[in-house]
Amino acid sequence: MERPIAYDKLAREDRLVRMRAREVAQLKVDQGLPPFPDLLSRDSIKERVHGIMVGELQAMEGAGRTVYDFPEAPWEFTMDMARQVWDESRHVEIYVRLLEHLNGYIGEFPETTILWRCACAEDAAARVAGVNRGLEGLACDVFNQLVHIARKMGDPILERAVDYVLADEITHVRMGSKWLTRLTEGDPERRRKAIEFQDTIDERFNLGGIRREGPHEVVPISIATEARREGGFTDEEIARLIKTTQRSAVY
Amino acid sequence: MTHPLAGHLEVDESAKTVRHYRYVVERMTRILGGWIALTPELSAKLLMGRHVWDSAQHADAWGKRLPELRASAQVSEPASARLVTFIDALEAAETPEQTIERVVGIYRVLKPHLLATYEAHLASANAVYEPPTCRILARCIQDERRHIAAGETILRHLLRTPALEARARACESELWRRLEAAGGVTGTGSVARVSGADAPPAPLSDDAREFIRLEQSVGAWPIGPELAAALRAFGDALTAGDLDAARRWLASEVVLGPDLEGRLRGVPGGRHRVVACARVGEQRLVKLRVDGTRDPVTLLLRWVPLRDEWRIAALESVSASAAQLA
Repeated sequence: MERPIAYDKLAREDRLVRMRAREVAQLKVDQGLPPFPDLLSRDSIKERVHGIMVGELQAMEGAGRTVYDFPEAPWEFTMDMARQVWDESRHVEIYVRLLEHLNGYIGEFPETTILWRCACAEDAAARVAGVNRGLEGLACDVFNQLVHIARKMGDPILERAVDYVLADEITHVRMGSKWLTRLTEGDPERRRKAIEFQDTIDERFNLGGIRREGPHEVVPISIATEARREGGFTDEEIARLIKTTQRSAVY
Repeated sequence: MTHPLAGHLEVDESAKTVRHYRYVVERMTRILGGWIALTPELSAKLLMGRHVWDSAQHADAWGKRLPELRASAQVSEPASARLVTFIDALEAAETPEQTIERVVGIYRVLKPHLLATYEAHLASANAVYEPPTCRILARCIQDERRHIAAGETILRHLLRTPALEARARACESELWRRLEAAGGVTGTGSVARVSGADAPPAPLSDDAREFIRLEQSVGAWPIGPELAAALRAFGDALTAGDLDAARRWLASEVVLGPDLEGRLRGVPGGRHRVVACARVGEQRLVKLRVDGTRDPVTLLLRWVPLRDEWRIAALESVSASAAQLA
């Protein structure tokens, strides 16, 4: 098997329509819609849940590739990534069921592969920094807010299921924090590059100013400070992330 | 009567066997992980996704057993070069169209053989001084039996035609021949396999029938009567070979382009069907599969409501997946 694979090798059933995130956002803006689904209606929540479901699918695929792509990495690293594959495969199931709960279906919205592209980094340290800290950190933000909104709108199915997924995601962030440190021990240059990669992902996932610090009901994606701390982000890192969201251009 | 302290493996031999197990299980873990992204069908993706972690835990348990047998921890060792060749052949099924070969290789060949090997080992292991190995064997046996049963369920779902059944049989027999030539995972020459038929019912989160149900969880596409009529007319025009009539549905700024026009000239006499429909606001992204006399073409069409009718604001040919929903 090729190692690593090109990002366009990602296999999909016909029923999913793949499109660049930027293009989807532009099509929405052209129609006077927000570029990223808000959480103001059941339909927009469904669209958000569909996006998360696709993200979980790509996260499972990405973690699976990490198990395969780095046979020389420490065995405990492989174990953590294998565990993550299992978690993500359960998350896919959870989100498909939540999609059904919201009367949606797989393929109802386009799939963007921005997450998968990030999971194709060639260095293991960059991959865990980008995926486990950058992307899973974003997942913490999104899920934390979704739990809050679900509680507020009185949907215990959505609230409980997402809260369990959030707990897993914090574990994955913690794995990322641990392996970023261990894999780059004694190699500051490798660490610098990995963190730089994570920064580019954080910048990309600020989504042009959509992710911000603020109350769940007010900002489209609110930064989950507490969940991030539990995942091993330092206060300094969280402050830096908040600062970058303030300078990201609005779409 | 056999003496309770009689055994069939020396400590060093036992460590070697454990390294052989670990080699196979570690490679299986990595292969399953790597294949998920290359496999289109959701049910098969979930099957592999669920089993990667179990396999990793098996490899880990074997690896941790090694120092207890005066050997280095977490070391894998293939039983023979031929076994490596067998695993390489199994791993080679990496195109999107080869999901059947992937599932057959793991769930009809390797795992049934591993299960038989573990069972034989457990039956002959000494119950007085080998319980640490026996405990690992018992756990692996339980998991492998469950995995094989789940794999069989997915295969029954995937093998929808006699031709696919034949492909699966051919793949199975070729891989089995290689495994026999290798003398199995331990290289001892005796190569058996058992089915997972007597596996206990799987819990909900591990039930392969649920993976299939989730794969088939398709609601009604958000295609209203006007768009349905437009799609039908556009598809009919393509299969009638009438590209001028098809162009009627294109927005003024859209052109077919010579490449696509050439490909669409090959579809007359065929049929068309919608295989995907996604929403972006009021617009619809529709995948239309057109099967003609030559290669099928899958078009991604962006339909836009303009005044009182739908028009195609963008169109491109996209690669069709090997996975067609059952």
